[in-house]
Amino acid sequence: MRKYLTVFAIDWQNQFIYRLNFIFWRVRNVFRLLLTYFLWLGVFTSTESVFGYSQSQMFSYVFLVMIVHAIVLSAPSSDNIGGEIGSGDLSNYLVKPVSYIKYWFARDLSSKLLNLLFSIGEIFLLYYLLQPVLVIFPESFQVIPFLITLVLVVPLYYFINLSTRFISFWTPENTWGLAFLIIIFYETLGGIIFPLDVLPVWAKTAVQFTPFPYLVYYPVVILLGKVSGFEFYRILAQTFIWTVVMFIIARFIWQKGLKVYSSEGR
Amino acid sequence: MPVISVKNLKKYYKVHQKEPGLSGSIRSLFHRKYYDVKAVDDVSFEIREGELIGFIGPNGAGKTTTLKVLSGLLYPTSGHVSVLGFTPWDRKPAFQKQFSLVMGQKNQLWWDLPAIESFILNKEIYEVSNDQYKKTLDELVKLLEVEDVLKVQVRKLSLGQRMKMELIAALIHSPKILFLDEPTIGLDVVMQKKMRDFIKEYNRRYKSTIILTSHYMDDVKELCDRVVIIDKGKLLFDGKLEQIINKFASHKLITAVFSKPVKKTDLKQIGDVKEFDFPKAVISVKRATASLAAAELLQNFPVADLNIEEPQIEDIIREVFTGKDLA
Repeated sequence: MRKYLTVFAIDWQNQFIYRLNFIFWRVRNVFRLLLTYFLWLGVFTSTESVFGYSQSQMFSYVFLVMIVHAIVLSAPSSDNIGGEIGSGDLSNYLVKPVSYIKYWFARDLSSKLLNLLFSIGEIFLLYYLLQPVLVIFPESFQVIPFLITLVLVVPLYYFINLSTRFISFWTPENTWGLAFLIIIFYETLGGIIFPLDVLPVWAKTAVQFTPFPYLVYYPVVILLGKVSGFEFYRILAQTFIWTVVMFIIARFIWQKGLKVYSSEGR
Repeated sequence: MPVISVKNLKKYYKVHQKEPGLSGSIRSLFHRKYYDVKAVDDVSFEIREGELIGFIGPNGAGKTTTLKVLSGLLYPTSGHVSVLGFTPWDRKPAFQKQFSLVMGQKNQLWWDLPAIESFILNKEIYEVSNDQYKKTLDELVKLLEVEDVLKVQVRKLSLGQRMKMELIAALIHSPKILFLDEPTIGLDVVMQKKMRDFIKEYNRRYKSTIILTSHYMDDVKELCDRVVIIDKGKLLFDGKLEQIINKFASHKLITAVFSKPVKKTDLKQIGDVKEFDFPKAVISVKRATASLAAAELLQNFPVADLNIEEPQIEDIIREVFTGKDLA
């Protein structure tokens, strides 16, 4: 455990080296919020409620996405995995008594913490500038269920990310195409750009069978109190199943990939 | 009891061949021709504790592949390998804590942070106690004279300084076995010498077993009592460096300085004239008849000075690899 705390600490220091890169990443998140905020502002000039959301609920959704995004979909630190496999730097880890998967998870958590701190600051700033009407602490606010899903969803995202990066064992340094495709899924099917209630019922039902809505959309609507008791347990069970399934898939690809890596040798 | 034992090690890579051009690419989608590359082909050797061994051979000879098998990065095609009683590719932590692999062309240090941070991380990864860590680090830093750059970003270090830091990072857990793959590559002559001195001193002080691969004969000549020569995956020689001469050098070199002009064609009776630039000539002769040739030379030519030498080890090895006879 101590090793991975040290990894966390050293990654934390390392993040401050790439300040400019980090700032651009944050700016991108702020822009996304502004974009969706002004879009919904336009929609609500002519109506009081859209897709079952009041104006204050929708703005709360937009702001919460920013926080959940920072916690779940961290800055792209573990994206280096593909490069490390392709270049053979993975060997550095394989000769040491350290788990590569835990090592990168520790680095991911460090990146998440920094992103979370920044996103909180940004939200206060944007709240001050835009003065939106938000639902703050309604009675139905579900903090505990929200936190429970987050605990499951953080590793779920990591395992999806790993599974795509590990493809590098077969196609060295060539996972960007797949990574971009997955990013589009996160942003749309994950509910980052818009709440999934915008979709027709059949589409929303179909999306429920993918792991993506469990990453951002469901945690946010749970926190907003838009989920009834029974529905919450369904979401929780499905999130849990997806986390386990993706863990098994990631591990399977890792072990297969390691055989390929170790028989070719870079 | 040897610490490393390798028996009949084979490592073949399956490589597919692609015809050049677009049509070749398309054809290779459906039908691939595979052939085996024999990176290591039936190699056996044993290494005892505390030995400092040099692996030499040209690029692609199989040196690095052998080191990678020994450190558990590669699965062999066949053969038996035991390092400290472990099978390397099981990658047991108890095994990994006892060796280190340094690749001159790869770095394990955190590029953007001072090297000391990477040392701390390795201390935790290898579960080294605080006292042990302080003691080891102090000694290594003094030996390598890097006190003043410990807190400088790795990216700002010179190649030589960085290599020293790489070594420290690899030695923080005081490994019993050290694999050094081209540790002096790209370094200037002065820095190469310092690295060599350090490796020698480290081996002497800590009795650690060291395997070193290098392109530079000087590394091997200065450091290793025993050398293993590998070429095209085969083991050509395993023994003391001086024995290479006996085994491979069939000739000696006679250098003569003449007092009066002589004809090159006349000298050819003595042996193969390698160099002729009056008044000096270098003639290669068979080992067995070297003294006879020298006597003949003294008798029939106006010789002012004469010298019989063994050929340089570099030359012998180069000729072994290129498959040429020395004469």
